[in-house]
Amino acid sequence: MGSDDVPLDDKAKRMRDLLSSFYSPDPSSASMPVNNTSSRFATLDTINTPSFDADQYMNLLIQKSNLEGLLQKHVEMAAEIKNLDTDLQMLVYENYNKFISATDTIKRMNNNIVGMEANMEQLLDKIISVQSRSDGVNTSLFEKREHIEKLHRTRNLLRKVQFIYDLPTRLGKCIRSEAYADAVRFYIGAMPIFKAYGDSSFQDCKRASEEAVGIITKNLQGKVFSDSESIQARAEAVMLLKQLNFPVENLKVKLFEKLEQFLVDLHLESKEIAHVSATLDGPNNHGNVTDPASSAAHESSIHEFAEAIRAYRVIFPDSEQQLVRLAQDLVNMHFEAVHRHIKKQLQSEDLLEMLRVIWSDVLLMDEVLPEAAISDFSLVAARNAVKEYVASTFSHLLLGITGTIMKVQDRQKVGVEEEYPLQSVLEASKKAVIQGCMNVLLDFRQLLDEKLELSLKLRDLTIDWVQEGFQEFFRKLNERFLFLSGKSNSGSQDLSLTQGVQGEKVLPGLVLLLAQLSLFIEQSAIPRITEEIASSFSSGGARGYEYGPAFIPAVICRTFRAAGEKCLDHYVRLRTQKISVLLRKRFTTPNWVKHKEPREVHMFVDLLLQEFEAIRGEVKQILPPELSRKHHRTDSNGSTTSSRSNPLRDDRMNRSNTQRARSQLLETHLAKLFKQKVEIFTKIEFTQESVVTTILKLCLKSLQEFVRLQTFNRRGFQQIQLDIEFLRTTLKDTSEDEAATDFLLDEVVVAAAERCLDPVPLDQPILDKLIQVKVAKTSEQNLNP
Amino acid sequence: MQGGSTGIGYGLKYQARCISDVKADTDHTSFLAATLSLKEENEVHLIRLSSDGNELICEGLFSHPNEIWDLASCPFDQRIFSTVFSSGESYGAAVWQIPELYGQLNSPQLERIASLDGHDSKIRSVLWWPTGRHDKLISIDEQNLLLWSLDTSKKTAQVQTKESAGMLHYLSGGAWDPHDVNAVAITCDSSIQFWDLRSMTKTNSIEHAHVRNLDYDMKKKYTLVTADDEFGIHIWDTRMLNFPFLELPGHAHWTWTVKCNPEIEGLILSAGTDSAVNLWLASPPNGDHLTSESLESPTRQVDPLLNSYTDYEDSVYGLAWSSRQPWIFASLSYDGRVVVESVKSHLPRK
Repeated sequence: MGSDDVPLDDKAKRMRDLLSSFYSPDPSSASMPVNNTSSRFATLDTINTPSFDADQYMNLLIQKSNLEGLLQKHVEMAAEIKNLDTDLQMLVYENYNKFISATDTIKRMNNNIVGMEANMEQLLDKIISVQSRSDGVNTSLFEKREHIEKLHRTRNLLRKVQFIYDLPTRLGKCIRSEAYADAVRFYIGAMPIFKAYGDSSFQDCKRASEEAVGIITKNLQGKVFSDSESIQARAEAVMLLKQLNFPVENLKVKLFEKLEQFLVDLHLESKEIAHVSATLDGPNNHGNVTDPASSAAHESSIHEFAEAIRAYRVIFPDSEQQLVRLAQDLVNMHFEAVHRHIKKQLQSEDLLEMLRVIWSDVLLMDEVLPEAAISDFSLVAARNAVKEYVASTFSHLLLGITGTIMKVQDRQKVGVEEEYPLQSVLEASKKAVIQGCMNVLLDFRQLLDEKLELSLKLRDLTIDWVQEGFQEFFRKLNERFLFLSGKSNSGSQDLSLTQGVQGEKVLPGLVLLLAQLSLFIEQSAIPRITEEIASSFSSGGARGYEYGPAFIPAVICRTFRAAGEKCLDHYVRLRTQKISVLLRKRFTTPNWVKHKEPREVHMFVDLLLQEFEAIRGEVKQILPPELSRKHHRTDSNGSTTSSRSNPLRDDRMNRSNTQRARSQLLETHLAKLFKQKVEIFTKIEFTQESVVTTILKLCLKSLQEFVRLQTFNRRGFQQIQLDIEFLRTTLKDTSEDEAATDFLLDEVVVAAAERCLDPVPLDQPILDKLIQVKVAKTSEQNLNP
Repeated sequence: MQGGSTGIGYGLKYQARCISDVKADTDHTSFLAATLSLKEENEVHLIRLSSDGNELICEGLFSHPNEIWDLASCPFDQRIFSTVFSSGESYGAAVWQIPELYGQLNSPQLERIASLDGHDSKIRSVLWWPTGRHDKLISIDEQNLLLWSLDTSKKTAQVQTKESAGMLHYLSGGAWDPHDVNAVAITCDSSIQFWDLRSMTKTNSIEHAHVRNLDYDMKKKYTLVTADDEFGIHIWDTRMLNFPFLELPGHAHWTWTVKCNPEIEGLILSAGTDSAVNLWLASPPNGDHLTSESLESPTRQVDPLLNSYTDYEDSVYGLAWSSRQPWIFASLSYDGRVVVESVKSHLPRK
């Protein structure tokens, strides 16, 4: 039996699966029964599932349960089926009941609605009747209301007319009680009516009230202009006038003009101060510039001015612009006066005094008119003024010093003979430099010491300016020096100042003086000024650190040292140039090849010596003497001199033919080779000896060069020999560097011998004799000038 | 700045004043130097710088009848040169040719191509046409300016024009403008005169006394350098003659001669009676050069003096740049010593 069941079971199951897969949307549920079939226990619960299979259930039940179980199951099932039937029955009953009650309700509503239509119509009728009644009432009351309204308007009009008729008296009352504000209000209230009917019905009334208003206006104007009234009252008056359509602008302009006039008066007054200070600025009385009376007057007037400005400002609220301009004008005027003073020379005290006055004015103005920022404005102006002052002080100083120096030239022109003109001028110039600078510094210090707010603010700037000023001053001074010495030919700037100098030839003495003055400035003046500046002008900070201090003494020192050396060089050159001209004439004029026998020392030697004398005279006045170096030098060089010059002087005397002269030339060359090289061109120092010696050496060298350019006959050579020998005796004292001088003198003779066709020197006795004669002659001349 | 002994020396037998670069010799750096001796037989030396540049070789030694005061080499023929000579009262100028076969002769004679006769006062200098082959020569005596036409093949020289500068001017030398061949600058006692050769008239002058020597800048037009006794070296713009645009201090004593470098603008040599040769670099002036002399300038200004060669025993009168090797110059001091130096190490690096 079991073997039969299995194929049949398989077939049925496949059919069912196919079906369930067809009906069921979910294939997985279709496979469930396959599982169920393998597990026999779970299958009894499928009775409530949708895939319940009654046959299978039955088969399962039969296979699984015994009879007893089956019976029991049967009983259970039968009971369950009965229960389900009852439940179903109950549900049907309930639904039926509900349906019946609904039907009842609908029937009842139908009955109720039938009576409503008639009620509604009744209501409509009633409302229509109410409306018609109310319309009736309205029409019956309309006429009366209109009448009442007309009456009311007439009454108002009457009241106004009454007011207009009363206006003149009322205004009069107001004027009497000075209640101008009310009056104006009334008048303005009446204005439209006057405008409309003024020409016809209310003519008299209008005229009367206009008269009253005229009085009011006049009173108000008076009030505005009267200084005794309180400012509020005046401002109010202006307001009222404005309401009355009075041309307030005119008033404003007038008032402003009054202020301006005030300013002009003030200006005049400050001019007066200026005048006073100018007269007091004489040489004796530098002290008090503004005498107390005038300063007091100024103070009171400026107070007045400030008050007026304040008033004006309150009265015309939007007039700052004008007032600011006015205030600035005031400051400008002040500084113009300062400017005028600076143009003339003025002391810092005076400047300070003026600044003080200005500052007090400014403070006042600032109080009255903070918008003007008048203190800033005046600060700027004061800056300019102080700057200008510093600059002008320096330019005055420069002029002063130049003037002192130029006295050399002037004296020369006038022909004043003094024993030491150069020396005195040098001293004067030195004093001018140092004293001038010190005075200037003192002056500026006063400026700094002032505790005035204005100058405190400017303190740093002032310090910088002073430092810069000094730097600039010395630069200019240096330029001026170079210009005066004729070194710089760039006369483009300061032409006007130096035109007088340019035309004339530069005096060598002046150049020497400038050289020494430069040295003095470098060595004494600058250190002193530096010290002074360091002690009182050091804290200038406005310039910024990256630029360093404005006053750089090292640079100035360097400049002046260079200038001093340049001037000294220039002096030497000027002097040698003069001598060169002399020598050139001497050597280019005669025909040396046809020279006559020498009879005496040539005149040019005298001229040469004269020149040296003049140089020594100048140098002695200006340069310091050398300190004990002479001995040393002479000693060390003495030996070379003798070894060098002996063969020349002694040996040559005996040689007469050219052959010997030739060998002698060789000899001198040899001697030159072994001799220690004589320094001819040494650096010039700032001493009498150095300068004189340098010039001497240069001139002797020139002499040598001139000789080399000529060709001599024997006589010419002898003339040169004679001249040089004489020079040798006379120049001994002049030169500090004896060795070099001697050497150069020898060189001249050698050169002449070389350039001589027949170099036969003069015999020593004749030479000596001629020199003796000359010496005697000069000493005689010196005795009897 | 001691000169030291960097130069190469060469000794002439006698004293000497003039030396000239042999411009036409393009294969060698050579110079002509001439002696100045009143009593001995004077010589002209042809000196050549050896190819390694370490030695000066005497290429030729020619006797010359009189002492030589001026010497100029012909710019187009290396064998031709001119001299100005004198002896006692007599004077003369001539153009010479170095003989072809001088190597074989013992004491070769110079061949006189032409005598520049026709001067009635002391002759000062002879100028050749600045560059290239040209037959023009100028000779200057104390009073006159003569323009010659020289024919080297026919060996003749003829005066083309002769113009007197006036009795009292005492001309002393001159320079031919390399940029304008019609212009010559002449020094005289009290001024520098500019002459136009076409009309032979003085066109302009600078009143500036005692100019010893002058030279045109080869590279920069309108630039004239002058040397004078007391006040050193001045550099002029020939269009603005009121002021020199630059002054150099010059020498401790007279500045005798100046020579502009043929290649480098502003490079100037000067020789002086202070036994020194100075090398200058005149920096081109900027517009505000006059106003720039402010306080700061001493520190900033470049020293125009590049070097001073001081290793001389006597005054230096002769100076010549080599045109072949423009960094080399020869100097001649009065004691007859030629020194050739190179300026290369002193030139500013660029």
